[in-house]
Amino acid sequence: MRTIAAAPAGSRTYDLNFARWVYQNVDGGDRLSLCMQCGMCSGSCPIGTAMDHGPRKLFMMIRAGMKEAVLTSDTIWNCTQCYNCVVRCPRQIPVTNILQGLATVAVREGYAPEQPTAKFAKAFWFSVKHFGRTDERLVTAFFYFSFGLVEGIKRGLANLPIALRMIKAGRMHLGAPHRAKGAADLRAIIAKAEEIEKRERAQGAQQ
Amino acid sequence: MPGQAVESQVILVVGGGIAGITAAVEAAETGYDVVLLEKTASLGGRVAQLNRYFPKLCHPTCGLEINFQRLRGNARIKVFTMATLAGLSGARGRYKASVAVSPRHVNANCTACGDCAKASQTQVPNPFNYGMDKVSAAYLPHPMAYPMRYVVAPQVIGTPEADAIRAACKYGAIDLDEQPKTFELAVGAVIWAVGWQPYDAGKIQSYGYGRVANVITNVEMERLASPGGPTQGRIVRLSDGREAKRVALIQCAGSRDYNHLAYCSRICCLGSLKHAAYLREQYADAQVDIYYIDIRAHDKLESFYRKIKADPQVRFIKSKPASISAGENSDPILHGEDTLTRELYDRPYDLIVLATGMEPSAHGVTPALKLSTDDYGFVVPEIDEEAGIFAAGVAAGPLDVSMSVQSATAATLRAIRAVRTNGAAAHKGQA
Ligand SMILES: Cc1cc2nc3c(=O)[nH]c(=O)nc-3n(C[C@H](O)[C@H](O)[C@H](O)COP(=O)(O)OP(=O)(O)OC[C@H]3O[C@@H](n4cnc5c(N)ncnc54)[C@H](O)[C@@H]3O)c2cc1C
Repeated sequence: MRTIAAAPAGSRTYDLNFARWVYQNVDGGDRLSLCMQCGMCSGSCPIGTAMDHGPRKLFMMIRAGMKEAVLTSDTIWNCTQCYNCVVRCPRQIPVTNILQGLATVAVREGYAPEQPTAKFAKAFWFSVKHFGRTDERLVTAFFYFSFGLVEGIKRGLANLPIALRMIKAGRMHLGAPHRAKGAADLRAIIAKAEEIEKRERAQGAQQ
Repeated sequence: MPGQAVESQVILVVGGGIAGITAAVEAAETGYDVVLLEKTASLGGRVAQLNRYFPKLCHPTCGLEINFQRLRGNARIKVFTMATLAGLSGARGRYKASVAVSPRHVNANCTACGDCAKASQTQVPNPFNYGMDKVSAAYLPHPMAYPMRYVVAPQVIGTPEADAIRAACKYGAIDLDEQPKTFELAVGAVIWAVGWQPYDAGKIQSYGYGRVANVITNVEMERLASPGGPTQGRIVRLSDGREAKRVALIQCAGSRDYNHLAYCSRICCLGSLKHAAYLREQYADAQVDIYYIDIRAHDKLESFYRKIKADPQVRFIKSKPASISAGENSDPILHGEDTLTRELYDRPYDLIVLATGMEPSAHGVTPALKLSTDDYGFVVPEIDEEAGIFAAGVAAGPLDVSMSVQSATAATLRAIRAVRTNGAAAHKGQA
C-alpha cells in the first residue's frame, strides 16, 4: 500500500536521505535523477528573475540534501505553472509537478508559514471545499486577514475602490456566497480523501 | 558459414562518403570486385563539404584526393553516381541487387570545360552550400567533384534553355533524353555506408532557426568558412554582409534531448572548437562564446580543446541556452541561465551557430534490406553477419572521420569473409 512518510528531519544542512525521499515521494521525483543541470528550465522561466534559485539549482540542492533550504525556497511558490520548462526539458522531467509536490510538502511540514502563495492557496481551498467554487470576497478576505487583523483591514481598504467598481459592473455580488450544485457531495468526497491521506501518513510515520 | 554457395564475390558498397570510398578501395586492393553506389552526383559525402578537419585543421580535399587516386587507378571498382539501391533479394553470396539511377543528362564525354554553364540562365539552389547560394542549372557539383563531370538540373529539362545548353557543348556530352533507369547486379555482400544528414534545426522551435536572422547551423558554418562557400570563405552575416565577430556557438542544439535526438553526436563539440579556430584566425578581435552542457572532446582530441580553451577571446559558458529572439540591427539575442553563476542572460550576437547533431540517413529510407537498427536508427554493425550485410561510418553510429575509416575497414574485412569461397567454414568456427 502507498504510504506518505514525512520527509527526513532536517537536522543536518546536508542530508542525502532527503534526495532519496524526494525521488520516491514527490510526484515526478523519480525522473529527477535524470537532471543534467543544463539550465534549460531556469533559462526558459518567464519569471525566472523572481525566483531565488530557479528549478535547476533547486534540483541540485535536493541532490545535495538541503531540505531546509529547498522547502523554504520561494522557487516552489513563484512557479506559475506555465509548463515552458516541462516542454523544453531535454530529459523530460516534469519540473512543474515536482515544484508543486515540494510546495505540498512544505505546507504539510510547516516550512511555509509566511509564503503569500501558500496563504492564497489555503484561502482558495477554503472556499472550494465549503462552497464547491471560489467566491472572490471570501478568498480575498481570507487571504488578506491571514496576514493579521491590521494588515487585513489595510489591504481591504486599499482595494475597496476596485471592489466597488466590480460590484457596479456586476462582476462581484453582495449576499451569501454562491454554492455549486452538489457541494455537500463534494465535501463528503474531500472528507474521505483527507481521511485516507491521514491514514497513509500515520502508516508512513510508523515505518 | 557452411551450406551456402557463394555465386558472386562482388561487394556492393552503398554510399560514397569517406566510409564507402574507404570500404571500396580496401576491398578492391585486397583483390575483390566492388560496385560503389552514390546517390548524389559526386563522391565524398559530407566530408567534401567541410572546410577543415579537426584536430589538425588540414583540408579535407587532401584526404579525399588520395582516396580518389586509389579509386581511379583500380579497375576492380565500378562507381555509379546518382544511383541508389532500390531492392535486394537472395542471400549472402548470391544477392540480386537492383540499382536505380537518376539522369545526370551529361555523359562521359564531359571535359568540365564549363561552356554549358555559360549557356544557362536559370539559377538553382546549390545543395553543396546547403542552399545558401545558387548555381547555374548546368553545374559542376563542386570544384573537387569525382567524377569531374557536370550535371543538368531537372528544372530546365524540356525547356529551350536545355537545348541551348546542349548546343553549347562542343563534346556532345549533353544527353537531354536520358531517362531514370534500373538494372540488376549479382553481388555477394553489402556494405551500407549511407552516412548522415544534419538534424533539422527548424524543429528546435525556441531557437528560431529559419525565423530569426543570423541563426545558422554548424554545417552552414563549414560552408561559410570555406573558400568554395557562398562568401568565398569570409565569415559574414548573410543578412547584411557584416563581419561576424561576436559569435555564440550553441552545443547540443537538439542533441542529448529526448524531444529531438536523444544521443550525443560526439563530433559537435570538436566541430565548434574548430569553428572558434576559424573565427579567431579570420578576425584578431573576434569574441567567441561557446555554450555547453559539458565539452566532450574524446580521446586524443582533448589537446585541441585545451589549446582553444587557452585563448582568452574564447569564453566557455556552462549553459544550455533556452531561446533566441530577434534583436535590433538583425542581431539575434540569446537567452538562458549561466549555470555556474545563476546569471540569467540576454546577449546580442552578430551570429549564432547551432551545433546540430548527425541523424542517420538510414532513417526511414532503408529500402528492401531489413537492417537491424538501434533505438536511434543507426545500423547495428555486426548483427547481419550471417546475411553478409555490414554497416560502416556514420550509418553505424555518430563517428568522426578517423573512426568512420576504421569502421569501414572493419566492415570490409567482414564482407570479404562473407564472400570468400574457400575459407567460409573458418569464418565462424575457428575465428
Ligand atoms: C559540423 C560538422 C563538422 C565536422 N567536422 C569534422 C572534422 O573536422 N573532422 C572529423 O573527423 N569529422 C568531422 N565531422 C564528422 C564527419 O562529417 C563524418 O564523420 C563523416 O561525414 C562520415 O562519413 P560517412 O561516409 O560515414 O558519411 P557521409 O559523409 O554522410 O557519406 C554518406 C554518403 O552516402 C550517400 N548516400 C546516402 N544515402 C544513400 C543511398 N540511399 N544510396 C546511395 N548513396 C547514399 C550520401 O550522398 C553521401 O555521399 C563533422 C560533422 C559535422 C556535423
